[in-house]
Amino acid sequence: MKLREYEAKKLIREYGIPVPAGFLIRSVHELPAHLNELGDNIVLKAQVDVGGRGKAGGILMADTKNAVATAQVLFEKEIKGLPVREILAEQRLDILHEYYLSVTVDRSSRRPLILFTEAGGVDIEITAREHPEEIRKVIANPLMRDIPPFMIRELVGTAPKEIGPIINKLYRVFVEKDALLAEINPLVTTPQGVYAADAKLIVDDNALGRQGFTVNRDLTEREREAEKHGFSYVELQGAIGVIGNGAGLTMSTLDLIGFYGGKAANFLDVGGGAESERVMHAVRLVGSLPSVKVIVVNLLGGITKCDEVAKGIIAADIPQKVIVRLAGTNEAEGRAMLAEKGYEMLDTMDLVVKKAVEVAA
Amino acid sequence: MIYGNKKSGVLVQGATGKQGEFHIGLMNAYAKQIGGRGVVAGVTPGKGGKEVHGVPVYNTVKEAMRDHDISAGIIFVPAAAAADAIMEEAHAGIPAIVAITEHIPVHDSMKAIAYATMEGCSVIGPNCPGLLSPGEIKMGIMPAGLFSRGKVGVISRSGTLTYEVVDELTRAGIGQSTVVGIGGDPVIGQTFVDVLERFGNDPQTKAVVLIGEVGGNLEEEGAKSTDLPIVSYIAGISAPPDKRMGHAGAIVEGGEGDARSKIARLKKIGVPVASRPSEIPQMVRDLFRDHC
Repeated sequence: MKLREYEAKKLIREYGIPVPAGFLIRSVHELPAHLNELGDNIVLKAQVDVGGRGKAGGILMADTKNAVATAQVLFEKEIKGLPVREILAEQRLDILHEYYLSVTVDRSSRRPLILFTEAGGVDIEITAREHPEEIRKVIANPLMRDIPPFMIRELVGTAPKEIGPIINKLYRVFVEKDALLAEINPLVTTPQGVYAADAKLIVDDNALGRQGFTVNRDLTEREREAEKHGFSYVELQGAIGVIGNGAGLTMSTLDLIGFYGGKAANFLDVGGGAESERVMHAVRLVGSLPSVKVIVVNLLGGITKCDEVAKGIIAADIPQKVIVRLAGTNEAEGRAMLAEKGYEMLDTMDLVVKKAVEVAA
Repeated sequence: MIYGNKKSGVLVQGATGKQGEFHIGLMNAYAKQIGGRGVVAGVTPGKGGKEVHGVPVYNTVKEAMRDHDISAGIIFVPAAAAADAIMEEAHAGIPAIVAITEHIPVHDSMKAIAYATMEGCSVIGPNCPGLLSPGEIKMGIMPAGLFSRGKVGVISRSGTLTYEVVDELTRAGIGQSTVVGIGGDPVIGQTFVDVLERFGNDPQTKAVVLIGEVGGNLEEEGAKSTDLPIVSYIAGISAPPDKRMGHAGAIVEGGEGDARSKIARLKKIGVPVASRPSEIPQMVRDLFRDHC
């Protein structure tokens, strides 16, 4: 789950990383009380859960005189379709130089990867593509609580020494807050010292509970409903609903729809165990998306009981057509139960997908 | 076989749980059928002295190791305790561990895998179905009925998709040497590179089917590391960016790890890539015709 900027900044400040003076406001009326603490130059930043906020007009500059009016403008905006409910009002920094600092999970080494570049202020992906030599990388040891000083020296290079402790502090945040990404972009030098001008934290969804989060805000309502049942669920643009067991098989079913010229409406992985009740919930959830015209059920596994699956599909009793591919134990019983109720059951995933694409067209 | 054989004794942690108990039964049924040792000991803290399908249960891995010759461990314990279970097995000296458990926090996995590596132990998974070498050993939850013995190795980040491919191969008369599910998490112990290295040293394996998906670039890293002929398939060509597609590790982020560029890079280094699973058997046949 991605934290909002003000949440990320609050966290890194607790670890001793300097952040600009700032206040979160939920209406313009809250702003005047804070103005004397923010100085003459102010920046207003919409706290919306989308990337590319600056380019989409979600960050506005202001001064003491026009701050309230500017905040009003920002509150009335929509940023990439999302309403602005919270604004972070901050002191505007007098920036001398911009750096980039992040800690991520490196799949290849299975360890934390720290990236630092003095060529900050631009999109890090562009720097990585065009000037990879400008990015300094260090792979840390997850069994150590701190980054050893020699690694910090390697990262900092000729940049100001005050950045060293900030790197280690961000590493601690990354480890102790179960982050998949801890990023300061830009990290800036000013006449008053080094500051994190922006901060981004993504917390591991599998660690939300122990980090004290009760809901995953990144999920839509239907995705949350799916999560309650232990399903993985993703919404797409087409007309064919997809239910499978196992992420790989479900993804592959989705791809096969594309291969045969169709478009999937959603993706539901029922995960392990396909008891009739789980299957019923899955079919109803996928069918509840209005764009779904037909549903493909593709369940495979030596231990999946086909009669249970058939029971679940029949119990769901949804208006859309459901086309089924089942392989596992009690296959004949499952097939007979479905046939009796007029459901179509085909032998391979190629066949079910082809059929569904025809029905949807 | 690459991680174990008929003579390997297997230990199961989380033996008295629903999953553990169920799969001890299946693993030992398979072992009996092929004349292997199968699961010889179970571990669940506080349940020492019990039996599961005739298999003795111990409180700790060390105690089980004292009474039995064990060379592989399988973990079914819940996510919150799974990293500890991996480290316990590594510390006790078990050389190969399969971690079935899903939803282990990534930081726990990083620590447990770093620790196990330090102890000289290979971790398969987490969030994986384990492995099966037909006629030799089953370490995990793969449905044995679909498999047949042969010379094609299979490596996959997925579970059921692997069964789909194995089923297609078996129906086409193409047997498998070992099938390894390396896991769907962003951080896993044995990656494509590690398993391919084992296949490279395995006289039985003559070709490999590499099943990948969106997220990261370890498929390409693996394909580059081996001289074995490979057929690949990558799931998730229709996956939208920044969405987790069922597996924690199946996500296109920062414009990286999407299926199209993965497929393009694999093809560029000469690896044929199937556009759907049902094409794989014919492509494997072509591979044998061209290479053998």
